[in-house]
Amino acid sequence: MADVRLQAVRKTFGVLDVIKGVDLDIRAGEFVVFVGPSGCGKSTLLRMIAGLEDISEGTLTIGGQTMNDVDPSQRGIAMVFQSYALYPHMTVRENMGFALRFAGMDKQEIARRVQSAARILELEPLLERKPKALSGGQRQRVAIGRAIVRNPKVFLFDEPLSNLDAELRVHMRVEIARLHKELKTTVIYVTHDQVEAMTLADKIVVLRAGQVEQVGAPLDLYDDPANLFVAGFIGAPRINVFTGQVTARLPGAAEVRLDGFAERRLVIPLTGEAPAEGTEIRLGIRPEHLTEGGAESLPIEIDMFEHLGGETFAYGRSRSGETIIVSTRNGRHLKAGQVLAAGFDASKALLFDAAGLRIR
Amino acid sequence: MALSVSEPSSGRSSQGRAGARSASLNGWLFTAPALALIGIFLVYPILRSLVLSFYAGKGMMLKPAGFSNIVRLWNDPIFLKALVNTTTFFVVQVPIMIVLALLLAGMLNSDRLRFAGFFRTAIFLPCVASLVAYSVLFKGMFAVDGVVNSTLMAIGLVDQPIGWLTDPFWAKVLVILAITWRWTGYNMIFYLAALQNIDKSIYEAARIDGVPAWARFLHLTVPMLKPVILFTTIISTIGTIQLFDEVYNLTEGRGGPADSTITLSLYIYNLTFRYMPSFGYAATVSYVIVVMVAVLSFLQFYAARDKA
Repeated sequence: MADVRLQAVRKTFGVLDVIKGVDLDIRAGEFVVFVGPSGCGKSTLLRMIAGLEDISEGTLTIGGQTMNDVDPSQRGIAMVFQSYALYPHMTVRENMGFALRFAGMDKQEIARRVQSAARILELEPLLERKPKALSGGQRQRVAIGRAIVRNPKVFLFDEPLSNLDAELRVHMRVEIARLHKELKTTVIYVTHDQVEAMTLADKIVVLRAGQVEQVGAPLDLYDDPANLFVAGFIGAPRINVFTGQVTARLPGAAEVRLDGFAERRLVIPLTGEAPAEGTEIRLGIRPEHLTEGGAESLPIEIDMFEHLGGETFAYGRSRSGETIIVSTRNGRHLKAGQVLAAGFDASKALLFDAAGLRIR
Repeated sequence: MALSVSEPSSGRSSQGRAGARSASLNGWLFTAPALALIGIFLVYPILRSLVLSFYAGKGMMLKPAGFSNIVRLWNDPIFLKALVNTTTFFVVQVPIMIVLALLLAGMLNSDRLRFAGFFRTAIFLPCVASLVAYSVLFKGMFAVDGVVNSTLMAIGLVDQPIGWLTDPFWAKVLVILAITWRWTGYNMIFYLAALQNIDKSIYEAARIDGVPAWARFLHLTVPMLKPVILFTTIISTIGTIQLFDEVYNLTEGRGGPADSTITLSLYIYNLTFRYMPSFGYAATVSYVIVVMVAVLSFLQFYAARDKA
C-alpha cells in the first residue's frame, strides 16, 4: 500500500503534447479510476506511472520515492492489461509464478503465493490449464492473480474488462471491488466506461485531451460537475442540455429563458452571483430529473421509446432542436408523437456558461 | 411456384445419382491436367528411381541386382565421406543459422532500433542474390590473396593466409559460412513475421514483473515461436541435406579438396553425369537422402510435440 503523487507531469511525442501537465494525489489504499473518451491520454498516464512510457516533464512519486527514472520492476507496481497478456505456452500456475523466479524467491514461497492467489481468485481447479483452455473471465482472473502474487504496493488496471461480454463485465466488476476491499492496496484503474468508474471508484479522475477536467468522488462529480464535459461524461443516459439566455438577476438565483420556450421563464437557484442579463447559458437537466408534471415544466414532443422494463427512456426534441431524453419509471403508457409536459426541480438543474463552465 | 427441393421419389433420386456422377466426372476432368503432370513428372520418376535403385551396371547396361547397391554403399569410401560431410554441414550449420536468425529477428523487432527497414532488407537480400554471382564473389573474397585473408592478416588474427579453398577443414568452414550467409535472412523473415504477431503487452507485463531481457527472450520469445522454429528447422534440415549448389559452384563440381566438401547430392550428380554413369547406384544414394530427411523430420516433430 503506497500513495502515488503526480506533479506537473507531461508527456510529449515530438511536437505532440499528449499529457499536458497533470497534478494528482492518490492516497494509499485508494481506488482511483481514470476515465475519459478514447485518446484522452488516460492509458498513457497509467503507462507513465508503470514506467512503460517515459515522463517528459514533472515528477512521479510512489510511496514518497521519486520514480521518474526507476525501472518498472522496481516501482512496486503490478499491472493488468486489457489483452490479459498471459504467456500462452505456460499453465495458469506457471503464468502466476514465472516472474517470481527472477526475484530470487525460493520454490516453496512461490508455490505458497500462487496457491494463495489461486484461492482468493477461485482459480485452484484451473492451475494446470493453459490460457487457451480458459474463458475470458478466467483469463482475466489469472492476469489479476499474476499481479497479486507480486504483492505490489500499487495495482494498475488498463481497461481490464473491455474484452468481456456485458454479463461477465458486471461480475468481474464486483470481483475487483471485493478484491480491493480484501487486499486494501492502492488501485489505479483506467476505463472509458463511466458505469465502471461510478461503481468502483473512491475517486474519479476525468480526463480530456491530456488534461484533468475534474477529480472527485463519483456522486460529487454526478451532482456537482465542474463543467459541461464532466456533466456529459458522468451519468447515463447523457445529461440534457438546453441553450438559453439570462433574463434577470434575482437574489440567489438567475431567471433564464430557454431557446424555443420563449414564453417561459425559469428560476434557477444559485449559491454565487448570477451572470449579467443577456448572458448566453447552457442548462443541464439529467434525464432522471425530468418527470411528467412538476414545478417547472417544458413541453417535449416524444418520437421514440426504449422500454427497459422497470424504466422507460423517452427520446424527443426540444423546440430548438436538441435531443432530450426523459427517464421515467412509469412511462409505459407514453405514445410516439405525444407532447410530454416534462417537469423538473429547478434546484437540480445545472447552469453552465457558453464555454461550458459551471455557474454555481 | 413449387420450390425445387429434392423429394424421396425414385425418379428424382436416380436423376440425382446421375447428376452426382456427372459432377464427379467434371471434377476429375478439371483436375486431370494437373494430375497428369504430377503423375508424369513426380510420381513416375519417384517410382522409377525406386525400381532403378535395384539395378546395377554402367550407362544403359543395367541388370537387376537386388540389394547389391545397398551393400555397395557400405563399402564405398566416397559415399561414406559424402554422408559424413553432409551430416557435419547439417549438425553444425543448421543450429548456428537458426540461433543467429532468431537473435537477428529479436533485434530487428525492437522498437529502439533505427533504420530497421534497411537492416531487414540487407539481411534478407542474400537469399535472392544470384547463386553463381555470389559463389564467384565468395571464391574471390576467400582466395589465398583475397580480401578476407588480407583483412585477417592486417588485423593480426592470422600469420599466414588461410587456404579456404585448399585446406579440407577450412573448405568446410567456407561452405558453412556461405550457406549461413545466404539463408539466415530467409529464416529470420519467418521469425520476424511471427514476432510481430505476438501481443506487445506480454513483454510489457514481463518487464513490469521484473523478468530480465535474456529470460524474456529464452522463456517467452523462443517458446512462442516454437511452431515457426520447427518449420524453419525442418526446411533448413532438408535444404542442408540436399546441399548441392554452393559446393558445386565453390569447388567446380569436385567437392574438393580431397572430397572434403562433397555432399550426397553432389555425389549423386557425379555418379550420374561426371563419372561413368551408374544410374542404379545413384538412385540408391538418392533414397538415402529420402530416408534421412524422413527420419530427421520425424525426430524434430517428436522433439517439439506439445507435451501438455
